[in-house]
Formats: sequence, C-alpha cells, structure tokens
Amino acid sequence: MLAVPRSEKRIAKKLSAKPSRGLWARIVKARWPYLFIAPFYISFLVFGLYSTLFSFYLSFVEWKGLGPMKFVGLKNFAMLFKDKVFIQSMENGFLLFFMYVPLMTFLALVLAVILNSKRVRGFKLFRTIIFMPYIMNIAAAGFSFRLLLDQKYGPVNVFLGNFFHISPIPWLEDIWWARVSLCLLIIWVWLGYNMVIMLAGLQTIPGELTEAAMIDGANPAQSFFYVTIPLMRPVILFSVVLSLMGSFALFNEVFILTVPAGGPMNATITPFVDIFNQAFGNNRFGYASAMAYAYFVILFVLTLIQVRYFGQRVD
Amino acid sequence: MSRKFLVQFMTILLLSVMLLSACGPGAAPTSATQPPANNATVAPVTQPPAASISGKVTVWCWSASWTNSIVKSGALDAFLAEYPNVQVDYVETAPQDVYQKLPIAISAGTGAPDWACVESSHLAQLVALGGLTDLTAQVTPYIDKMNAYKWPDAMLDGKYYAMPWDSGPVVMYYRRDVFKAAGLASDPDSVSAIVATWDDYLNVCKTILEKTGDQCFASNKANNDARLYEIMLWQQGLGYTNAEGQVTVDSPENVATLEELKKFWDAGLLSDQSAWTDGWYAEFSAGGTAPVATVGPGTPEPAAVKPVATLVEAAWMGVFLKSFVAPGTEGLWGVAQMPAMKAGQPRSSNDGGSNVVIPEQSQNKAAAWALAEWLFGRVDSQVAIFKANDIFPSLEAAYADPVFTEPDPYFDNQNVRSAYVDAVKIIPTGYVYGPNYALMNRYVQTAIAKVATGAASVQAALTEAADAIRNDTGLP
Repeated sequence: MLAVPRSEKRIAKKLSAKPSRGLWARIVKARWPYLFIAPFYISFLVFGLYSTLFSFYLSFVEWKGLGPMKFVGLKNFAMLFKDKVFIQSMENGFLLFFMYVPLMTFLALVLAVILNSKRVRGFKLFRTIIFMPYIMNIAAAGFSFRLLLDQKYGPVNVFLGNFFHISPIPWLEDIWWARVSLCLLIIWVWLGYNMVIMLAGLQTIPGELTEAAMIDGANPAQSFFYVTIPLMRPVILFSVVLSLMGSFALFNEVFILTVPAGGPMNATITPFVDIFNQAFGNNRFGYASAMAYAYFVILFVLTLIQVRYFGQRVD
Repeated sequence: MSRKFLVQFMTILLLSVMLLSACGPGAAPTSATQPPANNATVAPVTQPPAASISGKVTVWCWSASWTNSIVKSGALDAFLAEYPNVQVDYVETAPQDVYQKLPIAISAGTGAPDWACVESSHLAQLVALGGLTDLTAQVTPYIDKMNAYKWPDAMLDGKYYAMPWDSGPVVMYYRRDVFKAAGLASDPDSVSAIVATWDDYLNVCKTILEKTGDQCFASNKANNDARLYEIMLWQQGLGYTNAEGQVTVDSPENVATLEELKKFWDAGLLSDQSAWTDGWYAEFSAGGTAPVATVGPGTPEPAAVKPVATLVEAAWMGVFLKSFVAPGTEGLWGVAQMPAMKAGQPRSSNDGGSNVVIPEQSQNKAAAWALAEWLFGRVDSQVAIFKANDIFPSLEAAYADPVFTEPDPYFDNQNVRSAYVDAVKIIPTGYVYGPNYALMNRYVQTAIAKVATGAASVQAALTEAADAIRNDTGLP
C-alpha cells in the first residue's frame, strides 16, 4: 500500500471540495437574480410541492379536514373502482375531449391560416376579437350562456322556434345536449387561445414552402393539408395535449354552466369537479386525494401515448 | 459567504412570506395542525353585566338574513346600545361560502369568524367536523323554548354546538286567481280541504291544467334539487337515514314517496323550469302588475308567460315571493295547508332554517354568545326580525306576539302568519339532514332526475343511490 503524504491528501480534499464551493460562490455572485426569483420558488415549495406531497399522504388516510387522520392503506384507491361517479367523470373527460378538441383545433388552425395569409385586412383587430372570450370572466360568460340556453325562455330556443319552428331544445336538461352546451362554452372560451398558439407556429413556417407548392400546382386546400399541417404537427400536438389535460381538468365552465355542478345526472361531471365535491362538499379529503392521484397517473399515461404516437418529428 | 448576501436574502424571504400571508389567513387548506377538539368549553355565561363584555365580534352571514333582517329590524342597534363595548364587524358570506371557508379556517387554526350563520341542512356536517364551541351550558335554558326538531342537528354526543334562529314550516302557496279560473274554491280553508292528500292535490292539479292550461308547480326533471322530495319525506318522519343512522334511501317508504311525486310528472302537470332562474320568477309573477321579465330580447312578452298555480314551500318563501320573486302579484296569493301523504298524517314539514355557531378559535366567545342570545333568545328581538323580513322564529314564545295574528295584504289580507305557527307546531322529527346531508342530497338529486326523465325506475334509481351512499359513507 502506498503511503500518501498528508499534504497531498489535503490537496486532494481541497480539489474535490472545489466544485461545490465554486457553485456556492457563483450563487453568491449572482445573488440578485436568485433573490428576485426566490418568491416564486418559496410559494411553489409551500403551495405546490408541499401540497402535492401532503395530498399523496392524505390518499392513504380517511380525514374530514379536521380531527384525527385514520390510516386506511389502499382502501381509498380500492373504492375508486366501485365509485360510479368517478368512473363517469373519467368517461366524461374522454367524451368531452373527443367532442370539442377536434372541432376546436381544426377551427383554430383554419382561423390562424386565414389570419396569417396576407390578404386579411385588420388582422390585429380580428385576432383580438377572437381572443377576447379567453380574457373574459368565465363566471359572467357561464351565466350568460345559462340565460341564453334556458329551455323555455332562453333567446336561443325562442329564436330557433320562431324562425325554424324547432321545438325547444333541452340545452341543459338532457345528458347529451348538456355536453354539447358545455362544448359550445369551452370552444367559445378557448378557441382564441388555441388560435394564437397556431398563429405563433405558422409564423415560423417559411413562406417559400407554400409558394413552392403553389408553383408545383397545388391548390390552397392541398397546400394546407400537405404542407401546412405536417409542418404544424408539433404545434398541433402541443395544443391537443393542453386540451387533453384541459378536458379532464375542466372546472369553472362546468361549475357555472350546470346546476348542480356536473349535472344533469353527472353527464358533465369532470374529475376536477368530482374531486372538489368530495373534498369540500363531503369533507372526504383522503378519498379526494386518492382520486387526484389516480387522475394524475391516467393523464400521465395518456400524454405519453399521445407524444409517442403523434409526436414523431417531421423529416 | 458575505453577510450582506444573508441580509438581502432574509429580507426577500421575509417580504415574500409577508406577501403570501397577505393573500389571506386560511388560504392554505392543508395545515396539518391538530384541530381543536370539540370538548372545549367556555365558562358558563350567567347574565354578565353588559358593560363588562367588550371586544369585536366578526360575523359571517348572508345579506338576506343579516342586512335585510337583523340590521333592518333594529335588533342589532338595541344590542349595541345594551353592550356599548362590543363592536360587530359584518362580512357578507353566502351560505355555500360559509360551508367551504369555515372548515378551512377552523382547520388552519386562524381566520374563522366569532359568529357564523349556518343553515340547518349543513349544520350537522359542520358539528361533526369539530372546531365549534360547546354551547351546552349557554343553550340549556332555551332547550324547551325552541322548536324541538331544531336541536338534533346541533348536537353531537349529548352536547350542543349551535343556537337555533329560524324554522322553515312548510305550507302550500297558491294563486287565488288561477284556482278561481279553474272553477275551484279559492279561500284558504276550502283549498286546504281539497288538497288534503297528495293524491287529492294531483287531482286538483289535473283540474287546473284542464280548465286553465296552467301548470301546477315548477320542478325541473333533469336538474332537480330534491327539496320537494325532502319535504315529503320529512312530513312522514322519514329521511335519508332512520333514527339509528341506517341508510333508508331505498326503503319501501322512500320509494313510495318518490312514486307519489312521479305521478305529477307522468301526468304532465309540472313546469320544467329550473328553480331560481329568471323564467322561474316570471312564472310566479305572471298575471301580476309587475311581471318579472324573462331573459332577453326576442323572448316571450311577460304577458305570454303562463303562471304556475301552487308551490309547497317553507315560510321563508313568503318573503321571497313578496320581495324579489313576484312583487307585482300582491293580493293574488293564498296560503293553505300542505297535503298529507295519507289522510290523517301531519300536514306540515320543514325546509331549511338556520342557526348560529361560535367557532372554537374565537377570542371573543362571551360577546359572540351575548349577541346570539340577544338576537335569537329574546322575544322582542325575534319579533322585530320577523317583522322586518318574515324570518320565522324558532323561539316559540315569540308566537304570542300580536304580529302573528296580523293580516298580510300580499296574501289578500289572509292571516298567513298564524298558518305558519299552526304548521310549525306539528313538524315531525325528520332524518333528512345529518352529517352526510351534502353527499346524500347529491346522490338523491341524480336518482330523482333519472326517475323524472324516465331513465330509471324509482326502485332502481333509489337502490343505486343507496348503494353509492353506503359505499361512500360506510353506513349500514
């Protein structure tokens, strides 16, 4: 065994300690930026990370929000499989996704392409108008929709009856019509948001590509389907992934449009509304936390699948 | 490490913590602090000298009950004159906000008011949660003085956690003009006689529809709030559980009750208008001098809206009709007894009603209790509040006041207040409310909607609801 001189040991120690010391030195040196971003991270630790971990713990207990917590192991998760409302809320997430996402994404893309073409005058005005519902107060919008869609006295049914002799549509009183009404509200709110995402994507596509397609004899529809859409794939995927999470996480729209929230007969209940009801309506915080984690796992898998199958890079 | 850096870092840390806490106490729903147990008591307050009680009492209540009733009645001013060192600080809080924010504030250990209004429907759930002051010593003198049926929801393990305020004796409101047009008797006694049972009521409704085309009452099929069904259960001394706490949602009696309600839908007698919408108000106010307009341009003229003939609802509905639902229909309404399920059974029930609780974390329990006792334990305050806004007192001694025999011009000078008193005296003990009311009510709403829309039979829908309730609550 080789005897290593003490001084060398000390040097080695110093050397190995250097990187961490250097990091700290760098942090101290750049302290102002760190200080300015600190409030976010502190609030994230308290309200984000801490709540997330605490909720994970809660998913294994029975707790009313007050009083003793009773450890129940996996009972909360086992109960999920028997909970018809929870299963219904998951189904509704899918149903709503398939009902509004294709239409909304297509409309957003078409509107973005139209606005992106140099032929539209007042481009900024139209963009603002289409985006405006997104920044409107959802409570005000939801109540307005409720008034408009009133079965007996709402302007929509009165208009349809007077001009088209259509008998009153049970907009919020039938399980399928209620879903349609909810989708209308969602599209109205979120179309502009998705259009702006698409518009940002379109502006990165060089104009030469569509010009080249035109010279090769493609008509506008062909250049839209064979040039624009493939190039826009990553942007469309981004928008669809956001909408997928959005349709399971729907809360405000459902809460305000439907009475009771998620009605009629749980046709529009979403996981978030169900979690909220169980936690804050029924004081079942442990069970609601288990629901939240089950929902997280399902959504995580779905997003992975989406990215995997629809997210291949364009060559 | 530089000291300057540390100082700067701590400053930012402190600032951000202050910013966060400024977002409001009680903003963090996940405090793991051990909550106060329900057994904490305040020292019994035996008529302390008013001047010795001091401090600020923060009140959470909704404006219809606080601003339009307690404040308007002058009862609060009288209290403040008697207790010169007490200040009352009112925070307008809608009922749903009380049920969501109060448990969070109690759980967080800070941010709860000293005094909160709670509807009877949600009281038992709040009591079961804990964190309320044990008021047993304080309310003991009032146990025999309040409507007896108010107490069970305020109790847990033999202790009392709330002071009752008002009751919801149920009557049948009806339109005199519609009954006349249908060729029926329209004076209250005759109407009470012809709607003796729910089956009689069904026949009266059929006559009205046949003769006038008007619908009997409004009850939305798909989005039903279950209130009328609960009234029908309570009337028979039934509920979602029995006295032993077993789930009875699918019991033969409950099934029979929903079958009875279903007959009205099957016969096409009901307006499908959702409760508390503009159209609902329009149907109550139709035919009056100031009909409530429906919702927008192009919608039917108020004159084209057909009135609904009746409404089985609690005493508080009277003031709602008068004030904002149908203010232009003065003189058109009457009050009859509600129908019984079977002849000879009580023609009365309860819907709603409210109470006051004092959270355990209150720093000023003596003043908070003094306020509750002054407002709800004294005949003169309760009578003043009733005069101001028809909030029907649970304090029985108040019924002897002359105001309870005064005719009411809105009801064609009928003495409706004594009708409420007659009804409140025979309310049976029901088991509709309780610690799991919110959960049970939601499942039953879905069951009623399935029955009314024809998606399921009564037995199947109620069995499904009962199974889900048993699964969720673990109750037998």
